[in-house]
Amino acid sequence: MSSLAVEMRNITKLFRGVKGNSGVDFKLKKGSIHGLLGENGAGKTTLMNILYGFYQPEEGEIYIRGNREVISSPTKAISLGIGMVHQHFMLARPFSVVENVMLGKKGRHRFLLDTAKTAKELVNLSRKYKMEIDPYSKIWQLSVGEQQRVEILTALYMGADILILDEPTAVLTPQEVDMLFETLRKMRDDGKSIILITHKLEEIISVVDEVTVLRDGKLVGTKVLTPDTTKEELTRMMVGRDVLFDFPQNDIKPGAVEVSIQNLSTKNDKGLDALSNLSLDIHKNEILGLAGVDGNGQKELCEVLTGMRKADGAIMMDGENIINRNPAFYINKGIAHITEDRHETGLALDLSLKKNLVIKRFIKEPFSKHGFLNEKAITDYWNKKRDEYHIKSDSADEPARALSGGNQQKIVLARELDNNPSLVIANQPTRGLDIGASEYVRTKILEARNEGSAVLLISADLEEILQLSDRIAVIYNGRITGILPKNAGIHEIGSLMLGKKQEAAVNA
Amino acid sequence: MRDKILNSIRQTVMAILTIIVALIIGAVLVSLSGNSPAEAYLTLFHGAFGSAQRMSEVFVKMIPLCVMAFGVSVAFKANLWNIGGSGQFIMGAICSVLVGLYMGLPSAVAIPVSIIAAMIGGGLWAGFAGWLKTRFNANEVITTLMLNYIATYFLAYLIYGPMMDPGGSLPQTKQIAESLRLPLFASGMRVHMGILLIIVLLVFMLFFWKSIFGFKVDLVGKGEKIATCSGISVKKTIVCTMLISGAITGLAGWNEVYGVQYRLLEGISSSYGNISVVVALLGGLNPIGITIASFFFSALLVGGATMQRMTEVPYSIVDIIEGLIIVFVIARTAFDLKIFRKHNGKEKRRC
Repeated sequence: MSSLAVEMRNITKLFRGVKGNSGVDFKLKKGSIHGLLGENGAGKTTLMNILYGFYQPEEGEIYIRGNREVISSPTKAISLGIGMVHQHFMLARPFSVVENVMLGKKGRHRFLLDTAKTAKELVNLSRKYKMEIDPYSKIWQLSVGEQQRVEILTALYMGADILILDEPTAVLTPQEVDMLFETLRKMRDDGKSIILITHKLEEIISVVDEVTVLRDGKLVGTKVLTPDTTKEELTRMMVGRDVLFDFPQNDIKPGAVEVSIQNLSTKNDKGLDALSNLSLDIHKNEILGLAGVDGNGQKELCEVLTGMRKADGAIMMDGENIINRNPAFYINKGIAHITEDRHETGLALDLSLKKNLVIKRFIKEPFSKHGFLNEKAITDYWNKKRDEYHIKSDSADEPARALSGGNQQKIVLARELDNNPSLVIANQPTRGLDIGASEYVRTKILEARNEGSAVLLISADLEEILQLSDRIAVIYNGRITGILPKNAGIHEIGSLMLGKKQEAAVNA
Repeated sequence: MRDKILNSIRQTVMAILTIIVALIIGAVLVSLSGNSPAEAYLTLFHGAFGSAQRMSEVFVKMIPLCVMAFGVSVAFKANLWNIGGSGQFIMGAICSVLVGLYMGLPSAVAIPVSIIAAMIGGGLWAGFAGWLKTRFNANEVITTLMLNYIATYFLAYLIYGPMMDPGGSLPQTKQIAESLRLPLFASGMRVHMGILLIIVLLVFMLFFWKSIFGFKVDLVGKGEKIATCSGISVKKTIVCTMLISGAITGLAGWNEVYGVQYRLLEGISSSYGNISVVVALLGGLNPIGITIASFFFSALLVGGATMQRMTEVPYSIVDIIEGLIIVFVIARTAFDLKIFRKHNGKEKRRC
């Protein structure tokens, strides 16, 4: 009997001749938690998709519990006891938990569902791993953390003892992360083997026994974690160079109030309250971090501030209430918006790069004259910004779709941060970007603040909030649950994110 | 620039390939029906280009096809599937006939007024569908299609009823005065000065896509959300786009009345409405591409009619070729996207 749950030898996977993985070795010990680290595009997910049977490698061998296997499909992987929890949950939202669990499994009866019995087994399983869940609640009623538990339970119910989790911490609050880790430790002690795919190593460093680092599709190394392993050491393995984790502090003091949001209330698309009496002041030369779990009104707040959604209350700017105007008004007012979703609201993916750069300003000179676009001025402007922001592209005319996420975000930054915006709304500005690109985006946001912009930084990534913010506001259920100084503790923020009221109001 | 040129070369090659594959499959069907494909296609070619007379017919059909395809391409670019070309054509024709028959203007005034009337008729007909979309979120495919039926039956009502030629018993109106008719290029041929319309519109379209409004249309088509975020009023743009799209299509109706039929009659829009959609897509929504594609399709229509007369091959083979091209054009769009995604994976660059 081998002591390895999984061994992948010399795995090479080509995508149209380009290497997704090249000659990667990977070993997962039985009863251990293994971190698979790497930047976006390093080949982590590719490697795991090979293990889960989504892709067939061009070269290499896979051994499961010491036996050579050809994993031709996810069904085969499941029959070998491999389970995968995807980053984007694969759950049917109108269905209940138990129905979702049964979706992937053949019933004991040929035609009838065995709901009650499955529900009972599910409850037992969830007790065992401390993942309490009501099997009859519908998925849409559950929080993201609970949905993740359903995914894990489904995998366990199918008999997985090798579990792959793709970026499991990305959507969780610190408290939920702690709970997840406790569950994972229990599963490990129970003899299960777990792989955590992540590019945020800070979060997993406390739970993993061993890490494998990939870069550019190649294996950088494997390391057993000891108490003296440092974050910097692992980062260097991932990125191949040192990364600026602590940005230089500077002495610029926040200035006067630039935008004052007063008693803002609005409803979301489902007609439910999204913001209730939310008030916030954002100062010049200040980054106000807005921490909170996704879906607590951040999106709606951004929409109100950019004219995409109507609301009650007031937005005071330059001594004038500017609520409920059309989007063009806010653009002219100098409100820049780095949107949460680059692909839907940040860029027109099929439009050329240079035109994406001017979509908010093409009506003005020099980008157009006498009703016609001035291609030359647009191209010149693009060339200037491309050099300034180090955007890697073949040509000004290629569509935005052709660029990597980091380069796409640079175009958004170049467009939004030009012309000294009065207010910059940065909603999840580094989501989905690798460390190198994130660092660049953060530097640019700091630069905008230093040059006088008021910045509202919305992020689910507390690390990011703590790094950049001058003050931190926490949003929960459409309300501000507290405003903290920049040196606030992560657990203090975390409990506000879960809706616990602030004991003593701290206003920095 | 390089990307643009490469892209247009690729588009052209793909369009030609599409046609060739459709013709090959057509050939297989012809031989299955027991005829010689070579003979059929030769007759078809000869039927379209064999004499000055036939060439003239090709152009007669090309004018409305090309004009309508220009019209619908404006809407398509904004991702608005205006398939109501024939309804807008009919409304344009009706409005322009009203000017010609009943206003009694001198011809120097009547012709420009009739052109404007046709644009208003077609424009409002399409603009109405645009308004329904912005106001009630009504799908434009359904509304423009339904408006086609309304226009068709409205036309039937007029020519069987109030506007029927009192001097005859046929369901058609009187002819417009000879002084209003567009001059012919040569006697004995039907091709008329309306051909200038193609040239004028081609220039217009080329400039339109470089204009601020043209860019707004394009941006709305590339993504409504991003357009809204960029400060564009998407609703206004949708209604204006449909107005322009219908106005151009209405011009084709004017052309048919003042250049070919000189009156309203049933079926005046022929099958131009459907074919113009294919022409616009085959031409890649590009003004020059559309001009070439419309020439090809009118040759196919004219040649196909001759082929039916001269050989045993039924005219339906032309319909089949047309259908195949539609299928390929749509499949190509899907295929392109797929290629693009893979290409995309390869092209991703590190920061």
